Amino acid sequence: MDTNGSPWDRLEIGDDSMETIASEQRSFAQDVWYRFSRRPSALGGAVVVVALVLFAVLGPFVTGHTYFEQNLAFVNIPPRLTAWAIGDSGRYAYMTQNLKLVELSGEGRLLAPIPFAREDLSRKLIIFDYAGTPVSIDYSDRTAGLRLVGPDGSILRSRRLWNRSYLLGTDSLGRDLLTRLMYGARISLTVAFIAAFINLIIGILYGGVSGYLGGNVDNVMMRVVDVISTIPLTLYVILIMVILDSGFLSIIVALSSVYWVSMARVVRGQIMALKEQEFVLAARTIGTSPLAIVARHLIPNCLGPIIVTATMLIPTAIFVESFMSFIGLGVSAPMASWGTMCNDALETMKSTPHQLFAPATAICLTMFSFNFIGDGLRDALDPKMRK
Amino acid sequence: MAWYVAKRVATMFATLFAVVLLTFMLMHSIPGGPFTAERKLPDAVEQALVKKYNLDAPLHEQFIDYVRGLLVFDLGPSFKYEGRSVNEFIAEGFPLSSRLGLMSIVFILFLALPLGCVSAIKSGKWQDLLIMFLATLGITIPSFVIATALMYLFSYRLGWLPVFGVSSVKGYVLPVIALSGYSLAFITRLMRSSLLEVMGQDYIRTARAKGLSETAVLVKHAMRNALLPVVTILGPTLASLLTGSFVIEKIFALPGMGIHFVTSIANRDYTAIMGITIFYATILVAMVFIVDIFYVMIDPRIKLQ
Repeated sequence: MDTNGSPWDRLEIGDDSMETIASEQRSFAQDVWYRFSRRPSALGGAVVVVALVLFAVLGPFVTGHTYFEQNLAFVNIPPRLTAWAIGDSGRYAYMTQNLKLVELSGEGRLLAPIPFAREDLSRKLIIFDYAGTPVSIDYSDRTAGLRLVGPDGSILRSRRLWNRSYLLGTDSLGRDLLTRLMYGARISLTVAFIAAFINLIIGILYGGVSGYLGGNVDNVMMRVVDVISTIPLTLYVILIMVILDSGFLSIIVALSSVYWVSMARVVRGQIMALKEQEFVLAARTIGTSPLAIVARHLIPNCLGPIIVTATMLIPTAIFVESFMSFIGLGVSAPMASWGTMCNDALETMKSTPHQLFAPATAICLTMFSFNFIGDGLRDALDPKMRK
Repeated sequence: MAWYVAKRVATMFATLFAVVLLTFMLMHSIPGGPFTAERKLPDAVEQALVKKYNLDAPLHEQFIDYVRGLLVFDLGPSFKYEGRSVNEFIAEGFPLSSRLGLMSIVFILFLALPLGCVSAIKSGKWQDLLIMFLATLGITIPSFVIATALMYLFSYRLGWLPVFGVSSVKGYVLPVIALSGYSLAFITRLMRSSLLEVMGQDYIRTARAKGLSETAVLVKHAMRNALLPVVTILGPTLASLLTGSFVIEKIFALPGMGIHFVTSIANRDYTAIMGITIFYATILVAMVFIVDIFYVMIDPRIKLQ
């Protein structure tokens, strides 16, 4: 800072400088982005969603597994393994839940099942043949649990290793959970985006017509909406799914045919409020057709609430999809969906909790992110709506 | 008031009629469904269906017959199980489901209202932030995830509560918590925002100005008005509890309505799906009706048209 003399400079006031705008001008979109990006939760949600989309789109190319490929030798394998050192080659063995042995490489890659030799009932040993050396599972000591013993009867060294072949482990048919999770993300996101988009279109059309025409037409149209929304929408979706037979398309049809009512209500309310304003009157005076008034003047003015409602539809759609899959109305096997994955994992929850945690975490994370984005967008697009 | 009630009753029946018509038409459109001839069924079931639904008659007569059956609470025979009727399914499952639902409603109200109040009074403080964080969790996490997580933690890991069944009171704890999760969170948030709004109004300032204690202001003046939105949401809450019970009953293996519904979906037991849907719809429409009437009674500001 200039310390000589006065710290204040005299500002020259000229004719031209009076008219200039000192601060940088921001467009509406920049304003919205500014408000949106000031919320850590909203920004975090957006980052997670982008990551999720990448995970779903690119992920399956990276994992090296497919969602349907079964490997019955590697069933119910968790992401973290107890590895028993066998031989001197730095190789390990992993004891599966159905008491088989699988050879592991030093960094935790699953190699091949170790062939079963025989069971010694008197010494309570299950003996396997590892390249000529016998390795046995010792189940004689109940309190110590199952142990692996070498040829001389000594207990082998054990350590914990991460599963490198299947990062999140495998399911009850030996399919890679990570890949299935990615395909589940594909299903969930596709269903959610398409359903939200269709609901958006139907809702805007229905609500626009109802709100703009008003009067008896509005009365009848809104009574229809009332009737539809009295019953929990899940019941309709279930009925429609039963009729269409489960599958990817029917979920979208079922979701799209029901959830537009909230959008229609929002659009109608907005249009009712806007259509009495002067700019609509002005448009009408110069002979603009009703269609153009709705499409060019009214809808753009209520875009904020519409976008917010559409964003909020996405988590609902994801939830309903996983709910339907969970009660057995979702995508059909072997296709993976987060709901079906949860359902499949339910029965073996006690022994293989990892199969349940992965899809459950994915669902929660996604729901959180979209809800946070929705909240952020609501405050950013329309600060008046903030509660 | 009488006019309003009459109008609401009329709407209620119109809604129910629409539901029955819709369900009937949907079920009719299924190839191999309950009302078509092209299917393979046990002879006894086939005969029962033909007899029951008068399948040779034209469509509208079949519909009238079905509605006539509904009027005397006869939902017809099961499509999959010989000699069983949909009424029996409901009679078996409904007591447990309604008990579960009632316990959840009580649990929700006893927990959500105080939590919402605390959150509103301590607005912006750590209590508020904590409660709102938990409420966001409750709203975003699907009930089946909450249920399985609770089950894993309390039944398998800690072993405090039974995994399945409701043979003891303990068995109800996890299902009720899991079932209430969403609505509990929702009503807590609603209570908070509603109370915050009321507390900012002029009459609250007046009440404070005339020297009432903060408790009196809260309990006598603010709460009464703040509770109104909660009353309106009770109908939809019941709806979400009912549909939520599908998965909860499945996870905890409780022999209620929900599990019958899910099983009949899996079995494609069309008449049972239809009957139970209509039964659910009737309960819900009736509940929404009662709540609406109640709402008008407690809030004199609502204009009756």
